[in-house]
Amino acid sequence: MDMRLTPEQEKFREEVHDFIRKEATEELFREVRDREQNGPATRAFVHKLADKRWICPHWPEKYGGMGASHMQRFIITEEMSYTGVPGGGGTGAGMAGPVILKFGSDYLKEEYLPRIARGEIEFVLGYTEPNAGSDMANIDIRAVDKGDYFLLNGQKIFNTGSHPDKYHWLGARTSTEGPKHKGLSLFVVPMNLPGITIREFECQCNMTSHEVFYDDVKLPKRQLVGELNRGFYEIAMALDLERNFSTAGHQRLLEELTACAKETKRNGKALIEDPLVREKLAQLKIEVEVVKLLSYRVACLIDKGTVPNFESSQLKLYHSELGRRLTGFGMQLLGLYGPLKEGSKYAALEGDVEREYRAALLFTIGGGTSEIQRNIIAQRGLGMPRA
Amino acid sequence: MDFDLSEEQEMLRKAARDFLEKECLATLVRQMEDDEKGYSPDLWRKMAGMGWMGLLSPEKYGGSGMNFVDFAILLEEMGRALVPGPFLSTVLCGLAILSAGTEAQRREFLPKIAKGELIMALALTEASASFDPTKVAVRATPRGDNYVINGTKLFIGDAHVADYLLCVTRTKGGGGKEGITLFLVDGKSSGISYTALDTYASDKQFEVVFNKVAVPKGNMLGQLDGGYEMVQRLLEQGVVAECALILGLAYKVLEMSVEYSKERVQFGQPIGSFQAIQHRAADMSIDCDGSRFVTWQAAWKLSQGLSCALEASLAKGWVSDACRRVCDGGLQIHGGAGLMMEHDLQLYFRRGKAHELSFGDSTHHRQLVAQLGL
Repeated sequence: MDMRLTPEQEKFREEVHDFIRKEATEELFREVRDREQNGPATRAFVHKLADKRWICPHWPEKYGGMGASHMQRFIITEEMSYTGVPGGGGTGAGMAGPVILKFGSDYLKEEYLPRIARGEIEFVLGYTEPNAGSDMANIDIRAVDKGDYFLLNGQKIFNTGSHPDKYHWLGARTSTEGPKHKGLSLFVVPMNLPGITIREFECQCNMTSHEVFYDDVKLPKRQLVGELNRGFYEIAMALDLERNFSTAGHQRLLEELTACAKETKRNGKALIEDPLVREKLAQLKIEVEVVKLLSYRVACLIDKGTVPNFESSQLKLYHSELGRRLTGFGMQLLGLYGPLKEGSKYAALEGDVEREYRAALLFTIGGGTSEIQRNIIAQRGLGMPRA
Repeated sequence: MDFDLSEEQEMLRKAARDFLEKECLATLVRQMEDDEKGYSPDLWRKMAGMGWMGLLSPEKYGGSGMNFVDFAILLEEMGRALVPGPFLSTVLCGLAILSAGTEAQRREFLPKIAKGELIMALALTEASASFDPTKVAVRATPRGDNYVINGTKLFIGDAHVADYLLCVTRTKGGGGKEGITLFLVDGKSSGISYTALDTYASDKQFEVVFNKVAVPKGNMLGQLDGGYEMVQRLLEQGVVAECALILGLAYKVLEMSVEYSKERVQFGQPIGSFQAIQHRAADMSIDCDGSRFVTWQAAWKLSQGLSCALEASLAKGWVSDACRRVCDGGLQIHGGAGLMMEHDLQLYFRRGKAHELSFGDSTHHRQLVAQLGL
């Protein structure tokens, strides 16, 4: 047992920290706040990250990684999320890449992995459908084998970030025989193919999301990832490996709220002198500490060659629900100032609380709801019976 | 970072579990609730034989020189088995003697503790019910070769069987950090009286009245008026140890609840297949794992000889609440069975409440986290 980072890891953290301090410009932060994911400052920053091989550091060198440990990768993620700069990762580095690396053909590996690691291409997560949310095995978009190609028809929803320049990481039904989860396959689909239509919609959680319609879309067969009808298992494994959330964003917000409570006076007294405020901040500090340890545990498991499963769900569940409590407390602390948006002359913390409160709504729902995580923990972690 | 136990630590855990599954059954725990002494001398001797009392003592004092993480692992197993008796207070007082005692005091006390021949109780808390040493009011006044102690200590665990009490007194001023002095007080000294407190957990807690109790000056532990830091250190160790005990208790409750939910059939299905039950159990598992890591973090710092005031309070602030949630969840899953005195769950539920409050509840530790960490 050793409950601290090694000196080498601490040194690496310093290096990442210094890099961000040097390269993250005001313009970059403005683009992040305004959700300009393709802004020039963001592109330039991601390019520099790619030069360091820090987008997919744990991948083999030949695909653009540096053969780093997961802990190193986690350290990068922590530093990025603490400062709020874009990590250049997303679905490509986090979901598609690892599955291609493990199950993909040589063609897919060579075609996509280096470009993901260089931050040149982006993937869009394509699992959710109107009738396949928590029940992912119910995916119904069809991919029919037509000999030379697959013919795709159906609809996706909440495929956030969809754009013709990107690639769809698509879960589709390739068999209707047998149990539902044994008829799914994974595909890489260029989203500019004829027959694909994208519709945009806004969400209250600081997010623009998309519906994607497939109408007789012809997809070359080499775009199939791994084995036909094994998609469900490939997705599940990728989720387990990738549900490693950094808690540094929570840490940062808690520090901001604590500083705000020290500086803000009500009735002549600093907010932090109110025992109820102190108690709440202390409780949140305890919770941030515990979730940090849960996140390090998952990183350690991966580095030891174990595929975490219920451990990742514990982390995802607690992390996302803590996000709701933390931002909810931020609103309470600021009172009527809490909901003021950035730009208002009365907004506290540059509108961070309003923005973070909205953003936090996503995470107890997206990527597997809290309820699904609890099912996984109970059934896979504790061995409780299925209904 | 590494969350794995070493091979030796895994062996220690296994040995402790095997031993306690044989020697500390629920029937013994129940007997000890009604027993006047509250612990089994036979089990005590065997535990000493396993080397547990001297686990943290250096070899030259008859111990095995292991570290606080090892100790936490052992305590987790003891919490799991609800081992009754003065083990923790004896070891903690031994640690205070090791760090602050004179060589003569170490030689007198530590080998006896390691052999299981000496029991100790920590006499810190008073009517204020606070674990904050600045609140101590029991006075010790110099008279000739002695100090004379007057006042009442309250909620003192296993005081009635202690050969010696480690008594925290005030020797100067009316409050604050200065003027705290510790004494090793013979439990049979004239002027000490013990009155048992009847508690929910049936643990053995006492009111200890000191009426002109004379203690030789040579029994002072550490410096006159300078005991505050020593008590703080002792509390850090006590808090982390308490967390480790709770860990074992909480995991056992989770385990019992999951097992019960698989066996208990309602509406034609095991209740464990219902999401209402599964989701409670899932939250309990996060409470347990969170408790383990936050406790290990503090224990690891102690094992490295580092101060862990903040980490200890982060731990107890979490673990106390987690313990309550896990026990509440366990009770709900067990339903009526959890209420029956015949069922073992109630033993854990009641003991859980005692641990939750011991060495400071979560409110106390949140206050410390606010002071130390915000």
